[in-house]
Amino acid sequence: MASYLRLIGFGPTGWGDQLLLAALMTLSVSAAAYGTGLVFGTLGAWGKLSGSVAAHRAAEFYTTVVRGIPELLVIYLFYFGGSQGLTALARLLGQSGFWGLNAFMVGTLAVGIVAGAYQTEVLRGAYLAVPAGEIEAARAVGMGRLLMLRRILFPRVLRFALPGMGNVWQQVLKESALISVTGLAEILREIHIGAGSTDRPFDFYITGFMLYLLLTTFSGFVFRGAEGWSLKGERQVAGMRA
Amino acid sequence: MTAAVAVRDLHKRFGALEVLRGVSLEAAEGEVISIIGASGSGKSTLLRCIPLLEVPDSGEIEIGGEAIRLRHRNGHAETADRGQVNRIRSTLGFVFQSFNLWAHMTVLQNVIEAPVHVQKRPRADAVAEAEAILEKVGLADKRDSYPAHLSGGQQQRTAIARALAMRPRALLFDEPTSALDPELVGEVLRVIRGLAEEGRTMLIVTHEMAFAAEVSNHAIFLDAGRIGEQGPPGQIFAEPVTERCRAFVMRHLNR
Amino acid sequence: MHPLFLADTMVKLLAGVPLTLELTFISVGLGACLAVLLAVLRASVAVGAWLVRFYVFALRGTPLLLQIFLIYYGLGQFAFVRAGVLWPFLRQPFWCAILALTLNTAAYGSEIIRGGLQSVPPGAIEAARVSGMSGALLYRRIILPLAIRQALPAYGNELIAMVKATSLASIVTLMEISGIAYAIISETYRALEVFICAGALYLLINFLLSRAVAALEAWLTPHLRRAGA
Repeated sequence: MASYLRLIGFGPTGWGDQLLLAALMTLSVSAAAYGTGLVFGTLGAWGKLSGSVAAHRAAEFYTTVVRGIPELLVIYLFYFGGSQGLTALARLLGQSGFWGLNAFMVGTLAVGIVAGAYQTEVLRGAYLAVPAGEIEAARAVGMGRLLMLRRILFPRVLRFALPGMGNVWQQVLKESALISVTGLAEILREIHIGAGSTDRPFDFYITGFMLYLLLTTFSGFVFRGAEGWSLKGERQVAGMRA
Repeated sequence: MTAAVAVRDLHKRFGALEVLRGVSLEAAEGEVISIIGASGSGKSTLLRCIPLLEVPDSGEIEIGGEAIRLRHRNGHAETADRGQVNRIRSTLGFVFQSFNLWAHMTVLQNVIEAPVHVQKRPRADAVAEAEAILEKVGLADKRDSYPAHLSGGQQQRTAIARALAMRPRALLFDEPTSALDPELVGEVLRVIRGLAEEGRTMLIVTHEMAFAAEVSNHAIFLDAGRIGEQGPPGQIFAEPVTERCRAFVMRHLNR
Repeated sequence: MHPLFLADTMVKLLAGVPLTLELTFISVGLGACLAVLLAVLRASVAVGAWLVRFYVFALRGTPLLLQIFLIYYGLGQFAFVRAGVLWPFLRQPFWCAILALTLNTAAYGSEIIRGGLQSVPPGAIEAARVSGMSGALLYRRIILPLAIRQALPAYGNELIAMVKATSLASIVTLMEISGIAYAIISETYRALEVFICAGALYLLINFLLSRAVAALEAWLTPHLRRAGA
C-alpha cells in the first residue's frame, strides 16, 4: 500500500504530477471536443428541423454515417489525413505552405464530430418536445425573434436537452481516452506509459480507473444539479423525475 | 364433511388501515357463494387471501381440509411453506378483474401453461382438455389468437378457461365483469352461470346483484371489514335484515 | 481517389470481417447471459443489488480501452494469475479482448434488461403466481420472455455499439477490420480512401445487423402486431 502511494504520489519517484496534468489535459480536450460537438449538433439539428429537404438529407447522412462508424477510424482519419486535408484546403483558399494539425486539434475535431451526431438527435428531440403553445404565446405578446429565442426557446430546449447532453458529455469524456493513439498526453496515455515503465502495470491501470470514475461521477453530479435547476416550476409526478 | 374452502377469523391491515377485522366463511363442495359490499369493504382482499395473494395478519385458511402454514415474524405474517402454497394454488382457479393473460402466449398456450409446467401433465393431454374447455366457453376458433387481438369479454373467457384447465376444486372470481364494457358483460356471466349449473364450488366477488341473486346459494355482505349480514340470496338481495345491507342493496339494485 | 486502390483496400479489409464478427457475437452472446444473471441478481438480493450497481457504475464510467488494457497488460502483474489455469488464455490478445468486451457489454445489457424486467405487467406475474408458479419457473416462462421482448430494440442498439467497440481490439494487435485499416494507412498514408472503405464496411455490417434484429423483433412479438397481420 505504501509503495502504491509512492508510485502515484507527488514525490520524486511519484507519477502524481504527470497524472494530474494528464487529468487536466483530458478535461481540456473533452471540453473542446464537447464544444465542437455542440456546434455540429446545433447545425445538424437545424438542418433536420429546417424543412429544407437538402439540409435534412445532409444532416441525416451525417448522423447515420458518423453513428455507424467506430470513433477510432475517425481519429485515424484526422490523425493521418488531417494535415493533408488542411493543407489542401488552405491551398484552395490561396494559402501555400504546410498547415498541420497537432494532437489536441485532431482529438478535438474527431471526437467533436462524432459527439455532434449524437447532439443533433438530442437537440432535435428537445426542440420538438417544447410545447408549440409556448412559442406562440411569446409571439402573441409581441416578442421579437431574437428575444423569443433567448428568453423562451433556449431555456425550454435546454430543459429537455440536459439529460441527453449529460450522456454525450460522459461519452466524450470516455472517448477522449482513444485520443491517446495520437500521443496526446491525456490520462490513458500517461497511465499506459507508466504501466510500461514499471513492474506494477495493474496498479497504474486501476489508478486510471479511479481517475475516470472521479471525473464521470463528478460530471454526473454537475449535470444532475443542472437538470434539477432546469426543472424549476415543473410539477413533480410522485416518484418520478420528469 | 370437509369444506372445500374455509377461512376463520381473518385479520388484515395495510399500514394503518385495517381492511379485514375478523372474517370467517365456509364453502361446501358445490356451493356458490357471492360476496358483495362497498368499495373498500375488504371483499377483494378476503378473496385474495384464499390463494395467499395477500397473507392475513392472523386467522386460519383451510383448503380441502388442509391448513395453510403461516409464520409470524417481526410483527408481520408470511407463508411458512412455499411448496405447500404453490401446490394449494394449483388446486384453485382464480379469475382477475383485469384478466391478466400472458401477452406473449396465444389463447391455447395461456390455457395449457399451468397444467403442463406446474401440474406436470403431458402436453398432448393438456391440449386436448384445453380445446374442450375453449369449446365450452365459446372460444374454440380463437385458440391461436393473441390476447391483444381479443375483446375484453373474450379475454375474460380465456382467463376463465385458464382457471378451469387446472381442474380446480374451487373457482375464485374477483369482480370478473367490472372491467368490461356493458355489452360484453353478458357473455362472461353466461359462462359463469354454466359453471354454477355444473355444480362447481365458486366464490364470486361482484357488483352484479341480479346475477349474484340468480346464481348463488349463499350471499355474504361485507361491511367495513366485517360480515355485515349473510344468508340465502332471497334474504340478502330481497329482504335484508340489517339496515346497512338494505341501504347498500337498495342503492345498487336500482341501476 | 483511385478506384484500383479502393478496390484493393476493400479486399484487404474484408479479410478482417470474420474476426470483427467473431469478437462481436461471442462477446455479446456471453455478455447477454451475464447481463441476465446480473439483472436477476440485482432484483433479488440486497447485497447483490449493491454489487451489481457498483459493477455497472465502474464499467460504464470508464473507457473500454482502459478496461482492455487493464486485462491485457495489467493482469500479468500478479504471480497467481501467471501461474493460474487461465493464463494460456489471458496472455492472448484475443481472449483478453473477448473478456473485456463481454464484461463491458454485460454492464450496459444488465441495465437494458432491468428496464425490461420493470416493464413486465404485475398482473401477468400475479396470474402466474396464483397458478402455482414461483422461482425459476416463473422467471423462465413468464418474466424473462416478456422482459426480453421489451428489451429487444435497446439491445439491438447495444449490438451495433459492440460492432464499433471491436475496433479497439486492433490496439492490442488483433487484425480485425480496424487493425488492417491502420496497417494500410500507416504504409500508404492514404487516410481518406481507407477511411471510406472501412467506414462503408462497418456501415454495411451495421445495416444488415439492424435488419436482422428488426426481423427477430417481428418474429418474437406477433402479439404486438395488428390483428390479422
